[in-house]
Amino acid sequence: MPEKTILEARHLDKYFYDPVKFHVLKDINLRVEEGEFVSIVGSSGSGKSTLLYTLSSLDTDYEGEVIIDQTALRSLSNDDLARLRNRSIGFIFQSHYLLADFTAIENILLPGLKLGKRSKPDLLRAALEKMDLLGIRDQADKAVNTLSGGQQQRVAIARALINDPKIIFCDEPTGNLDSGNARIVFDLLKDLAHNYKQTILMVTHDESYQTDRQIRLHDGRVVD
Amino acid sequence: MRDSPLFKIVWAHLTGRKRQTLVSILGVMFGITVFIFQAGMITGLQNYFVEKTIQSTPHIQISNETTASEKPVAAKAYPENRDIWFSIRNQKDRLEEDKIKDGLQIASLLENHPEVYGVSPSLTSQAIFKLGVLDVSAIVHGVDILRENRLFNLEKDIVQGSVIRLETVNNGLILGSGLAEKLGANLNDNLNIVSPNGVSLPMKVVGILSTGLRDLDDQRAYSSLRNAQKLMKAQSSHITDISIKLRNIDKAPELADEFENRFGYRAVDWKEKNAAVFSVFKIQNIVTYLVILSILLVSGFGIFNILTMMIYEKMTDIAILKAIGYTDKDIRRIFLSEAMLIGLAGGVLGLITGLVISIIAASIPFRIEGFVSSERLNINFNPLFYTIAFIFGLLTTAIAGLLPARKAAKVDPLHIIRNQ
Ligand SMILES: Nc1ncnc2c1ncn2[C@@H]1O[C@H](COP(=O)(O)OP(=O)(O)O)[C@@H](O)[C@H]1O
Ligand SMILES: [Mg+2]
Repeated sequence: MPEKTILEARHLDKYFYDPVKFHVLKDINLRVEEGEFVSIVGSSGSGKSTLLYTLSSLDTDYEGEVIIDQTALRSLSNDDLARLRNRSIGFIFQSHYLLADFTAIENILLPGLKLGKRSKPDLLRAALEKMDLLGIRDQADKAVNTLSGGQQQRVAIARALINDPKIIFCDEPTGNLDSGNARIVFDLLKDLAHNYKQTILMVTHDESYQTDRQIRLHDGRVVD
Repeated sequence: MRDSPLFKIVWAHLTGRKRQTLVSILGVMFGITVFIFQAGMITGLQNYFVEKTIQSTPHIQISNETTASEKPVAAKAYPENRDIWFSIRNQKDRLEEDKIKDGLQIASLLENHPEVYGVSPSLTSQAIFKLGVLDVSAIVHGVDILRENRLFNLEKDIVQGSVIRLETVNNGLILGSGLAEKLGANLNDNLNIVSPNGVSLPMKVVGILSTGLRDLDDQRAYSSLRNAQKLMKAQSSHITDISIKLRNIDKAPELADEFENRFGYRAVDWKEKNAAVFSVFKIQNIVTYLVILSILLVSGFGIFNILTMMIYEKMTDIAILKAIGYTDKDIRRIFLSEAMLIGLAGGVLGLITGLVISIIAASIPFRIEGFVSSERLNINFNPLFYTIAFIFGLLTTAIAGLLPARKAAKVDPLHIIRNQ
């Protein structure tokens, strides 16, 4: 099977202007192939999060090209970017960002309902499947603030998975968890990559996590 | 709709802040209730007045109005633009000057006009009514009672006695109810009327009449035309006014002009005659709209507030919704819908309470003394007010929701997520 590039960055530069002009990303070139589990590592302040936001369409203020699934992000309107995120991108942040007004499964359904491609029963079945996979099926109808930190992060992963995205972007997904839960969450991500061919790009400062490939960032530059 | 995640979010937001939501709804409800009740009451009274006026007063009245602004006769003897001052004391409106010449012929000409429903000629004069020790000044309205009754359906307004006795009893007099009260006069009482010329006539009260129009009831007495002429020492052809009722009331101003030009006498239509009252009505209506506007403005601020607080509280929710693919428009719709739901709920409740209060108020006996007198509130249930109030309510809530909704739509998820 020929490799297919899901994500590509070409000559990516980014500056912050406040409080002073600051060259935060410097001529970044990278590719992530379909099914790859790639991590971006580097010390705190090296620009990992900033890079992840630019690659994932949340930050549109950069120079150079970002291409996701053969579409250059620069060519897309705000609404198109929202649609792209909905259809093709999953997010896992350090905080779970679950909506407190909803149950676990309702949170997971949110991107699916927005996409509107599947019928409600199909979507429910898919959500329960993902929850099963992540070991939280019995939490489906609970209010999210009654769940533990590890469970909440797994609900967030299920939400990222619900539309079968081309790529999942993670920013320190285990950053708020104790080491036990952190291990569980990382193993789940690895399982998704290896057994379900889920493409994942993960930012972490913890280099002990073994991924297919590491991209090392130092002072806004890819090194190695 | 119920399955829509947007609706669920809206619902969760509104039910998550029950007290504020309720207060906002009550604000809108209150504004609409007050408007419906106030507009219903005021225009009800206005309509009642108009209805009574159309029924009990001429649509057009022709009279030989002597205006004080007319130049003194002496002034006509001198050329204009001369620095000459005239001082004429007691310039008299002689009775003769009030007379409509050939009035009865004019009346019969008018009777044949296709737009005219009926005509009643009359002789009207100020007089003193004497009963016992009481002297009351009022107006004697000498009429052909059958013609007058055909025009104004006096029979319907008679509270004591009868209209026809004015024909049959020689010196019969029908008193307005307010005038009767002032005089302390009862049916079949005898009293004296003294005209400005000093003629005194003994009269007998054969009826008491209450039209509901204060001006008429307090001021007017009906006699036969013949007796009024006797009182004024006038001939049998002498009349001062012609009352006209039209088939189509809307043509009154236009026909008044026509009659004025044709006969050379002042013809006043009912709208012109009541212009002062109508301008009061106009002010009342403006006040009514100002009241609803100010109440809705306050509830609009309430809605603006609750939404602005909601947005701050739900900032991360908005950010993540945008990150997972909800568009700016979706977010705007969420907060706008919240405003509109508050408006809708407040609107419907306001319509219901407004209607209920109006129904209750309309059923309570309540004596009103104003331009018109009535035994109860005449409340206008015109659906137009209900529609206007509802639209007003929705409009304010929409406007109040617009700004916060746009603010929410502009939230930059990156900004929130980066700073967590
Ligand atoms: N909004 C911003 N404005 C200015 N500087 C910023 C902003 N966000 C991050 N930075 C700076 O950019 C650099 C990279 O930040 P970040 O990408 O968060 O690093 P990492 O995720 O690797 O810890 C840091 O020096 C940080 O202070
Ligand atoms: Mg970071």
